[in-house]
Amino acid sequence: MKMKTTHRLALLALVLGGTSLAQAQSGERIAVFTKNQTNPFFQAVRLGADSAAKQLNVKVTHYVPTKPDSIPEQMSQIEDVIVKKPDAIVFTPVDYKAMGPAVGKINAAKIPVVNVTDRSEVGTFVAFVGASDYQLGLETTKYLIKAMGGTGNIVVLEGVKGSLTSIDRVRGFNDAVKTAPGVKVVASQPGNYQRLQALQVMENLMQSHPKIDGVFAANDAMASGAIEALDGAGRKALVVGINGTKEAVDAIKAGKMLASGDYNGFLQGCVSTMTAVRELRKLPVEKNVVFPATVIAKDNLAQYESPVESRSCPTWEEAIAKK
Amino acid sequence: MHEMTVRAEPVAGVGKLIARLKHAGSASGALMMLIVLCAVFAFSTENFLDGANLVNVAVQSTILLLLALPMTLIIMTEGLDLSMGAVLTLANVVLATVAVNTGGVSLALLAALGVGLAFGLVNGTLVSRLGIPPFVATLGTLGAAQGLALVVTDGQSVVGIPASVQMFYSGAFLGVPAPIWIAGIAYAAFHGVLYHTRFGANVFALGGNREALTLAGVRTRLYLVAVYVIGGLMAGLAALLLTARISSGHPTAALGMEFDAIAAVAVGGTSFEKGKGWLLGTLIGVLAVGVLRNGLNLMGVTSAVQVSAIGLLVILALMIDAFRGKQS
Amino acid sequence: MKTPTLSSPAGASAQNASGLQGLWQALPDPVRSVAFRLLALGLLCLALSLASDAFLTTTNIVNVLRQAALLFLLASGVTLVILTAGLDLSVGANVAMSACLAATLMKATGSITLAVFAGLGCGLLIGIANGLLITLLRLPPFIATYGMLWILHGVTYWFMKGETIHGFPPAFRAIGSGHWLGIPIPVYLMVAFLFIGVLFAQRTRWGQEIYAVGANPEAARLSGVPVKSRLVLVYAVSGAMAGLASLIFLARLNSAEGDIGEALTLPAIAAVLIGGTSLFGGVGSVFGTLVGALILTLVLNGMNLLAISSNWQPVVTGVIVVLAVFLDNLTRKGDRK
Repeated sequence: MKMKTTHRLALLALVLGGTSLAQAQSGERIAVFTKNQTNPFFQAVRLGADSAAKQLNVKVTHYVPTKPDSIPEQMSQIEDVIVKKPDAIVFTPVDYKAMGPAVGKINAAKIPVVNVTDRSEVGTFVAFVGASDYQLGLETTKYLIKAMGGTGNIVVLEGVKGSLTSIDRVRGFNDAVKTAPGVKVVASQPGNYQRLQALQVMENLMQSHPKIDGVFAANDAMASGAIEALDGAGRKALVVGINGTKEAVDAIKAGKMLASGDYNGFLQGCVSTMTAVRELRKLPVEKNVVFPATVIAKDNLAQYESPVESRSCPTWEEAIAKK
Repeated sequence: MHEMTVRAEPVAGVGKLIARLKHAGSASGALMMLIVLCAVFAFSTENFLDGANLVNVAVQSTILLLLALPMTLIIMTEGLDLSMGAVLTLANVVLATVAVNTGGVSLALLAALGVGLAFGLVNGTLVSRLGIPPFVATLGTLGAAQGLALVVTDGQSVVGIPASVQMFYSGAFLGVPAPIWIAGIAYAAFHGVLYHTRFGANVFALGGNREALTLAGVRTRLYLVAVYVIGGLMAGLAALLLTARISSGHPTAALGMEFDAIAAVAVGGTSFEKGKGWLLGTLIGVLAVGVLRNGLNLMGVTSAVQVSAIGLLVILALMIDAFRGKQS
Repeated sequence: MKTPTLSSPAGASAQNASGLQGLWQALPDPVRSVAFRLLALGLLCLALSLASDAFLTTTNIVNVLRQAALLFLLASGVTLVILTAGLDLSVGANVAMSACLAATLMKATGSITLAVFAGLGCGLLIGIANGLLITLLRLPPFIATYGMLWILHGVTYWFMKGETIHGFPPAFRAIGSGHWLGIPIPVYLMVAFLFIGVLFAQRTRWGQEIYAVGANPEAARLSGVPVKSRLVLVYAVSGAMAGLASLIFLARLNSAEGDIGEALTLPAIAAVLIGGTSLFGGVGSVFGTLVGALILTLVLNGMNLLAISSNWQPVVTGVIVVLAVFLDNLTRKGDRK
């Protein structure tokens, strides 16, 4: 997304002016909330936060519900954490509609909070850092349609019903399909972002639909499940996913998967934590950081091949330039 | 002769005291764990003993307590209710939907209680009239409730909960938060019924002595239905607190909570087999779990370790009971 | 008494009909129970093949068998546990931990043998731990295995660190996704363990002792059955089967994450219950569990083929479990609690 020149100049000035202040404070305590311990995406977010913490000399503590995606538990964790009065909070809501009272308590306690990944519908935040799931769905689908030559049957594997990421990605998918009259969506089923479920759903779908040319999976885990199902039945189809995990990158390299939308958890973790720290250090922040949708495919693989653990956060300027 | 009579009285008094201690000792596993946890957290974190934090723990434990109280009764009748979490979730979704549409609390609460009542009746009938083991019967209703919650919402949250509902979690009366009032009254009610009414005495006897009860002319079938109905109604009531707490209705909000309730009841000392029950023990069990979670959060302990700690708590508490010779 | 739904030749005489009815009533409970379930299975297949063209195709049947195989392998161990009036809630978490351990070792050393032994061994050890908690520490099975479930999840999350391990050697993957003569390998394993399970339960002394412990632990003890050892045995077997299932899972999915197997515990128990094994112990069979697993898998398969919203799946599963037990109660001859 091109930035207006005035914006660029202002940012430059602020950055130059602000860098000198950056070293003055340190040791702030940031509490980072993510949805669960099992989705590698959130591990990437946590690693990004840790990397940013190291660079900026702050202390990050992670809070993850013991029951994955548990709304009441995240609420309890927030209440407990508020008692400790962290300096700032980085927050992924377990449910983008339901965490209202929780964020309300954070706001009431006057703790600055940055919203990351899932845009929460309620609450006051310093900033939102995330990707546009809609754009990801749109761009990845466009890539798929192009590779399919504009015609054929597509099957959709949705994510968790009611989750914002799934809703937006499928919306993007639908809009992309509207522009390609030769493409037909023969089925759309939820796979809950789970590999096994996607595999079994795919197996069943292959029964009812003898001709499937493309598969749009709302995340890489489901894409992998679909690929396993196709392999098992000896059938071929072009499969795309979203997340850009190492597994997807490997699959793309091996030719098993067509492409994956880059949903960069690590970068989101970096920037959201950096935003929180900058807010505390009275440095300027970007209120709305939405990373553009890049589609990872055979031609641009190289930059995505390094494992998340060995990456480190870009500087603030580099990161903002990416949006 | 004279001496013996004089000695008889204090012996009787001491006997009563010993009986009381034994009773307390029978749930010592949970009590010990609770005390140890409080001590550990008081020392290792600076905020555990803050008034605000302790109130938090109490408030956070109320929903679970509302489920654990009837679960105690059900387990005392050698039964189980696996559907409570799902029924609570369905009631939550129904309450939220009605509240959003009517803008008020009363109809919504009635609807939620209705859901609980319906499932309680189904559970009770399956168990008492059709002779289906409680595990199986409630496993079935669990599925039904879980599916219905998904069907009614299609996976989406219901939001726009009116303030009149939210106040049941965030409001306070005489400085005490509303949920604590509700939980407290519920506890008192259960205590009164269980320990001071014929109904309660019969519930005790339902576990482990059912034939004698039937022979004595008590309509045991009706009692069985009653305990499951009470469970369902309490799930409906808990839905009010849950909806207020998360300010929404969500189709997966409380799934699995029945296992927490069962664990709390077992940790508290109620036995699965002999129909021995201790209501206070249930409260202690619920608090022990709440304190553990809260303390670990305050300590910033990694979530993976928290997960294991919960399992360890449950096993340790029961181990302590076993070692103290509670299980004969 | 319900008249049997077995087909009789057209125009059968009254004598014939009562002969069949007498035959039905003369059969012992376990046989009736299984026969009735096989009938239900047959009717289900019939209904599905009428309702959907896609059902009776080779690929679909193969899929169903493969899905059922995984469920059966897990549920067969649980059958033994429930036969002793116990419960194993930790099987799903066992699968997760064993799979993740095997995956980690395979990635680190590249050795399939090591990974296989690790997965099986891990499952077995967890099972033994459950058994010891229940026999030595006298914890109720529900609580012991529930506590174990949490501990296992915690350990698994801890060493997986929220990441996925993927990409295993083809030789290993064959266990889960390979075929031989057109039939998936897991199906062969299913048949093999069906034989082993049935032989063990019905024909060995250990098997008979397990039934005895479930029916009446006190009487069993008095007749010299080492009750505690048998209890540890059933939980150990349940754990080992979970270890086996975890390897097949791993091979099929070609990856391991902290939460695989989460959703398997209740369906495994459901399959055992639908198959006719009673929670009170002493009644049931491994074969019944196979039929139960097939019924459950077929119903879900059918719902998928008929594009019935997945929201209804838990409802249908729940209803089937209750129905199966209810009908069992109706048709059992003896007094049931």
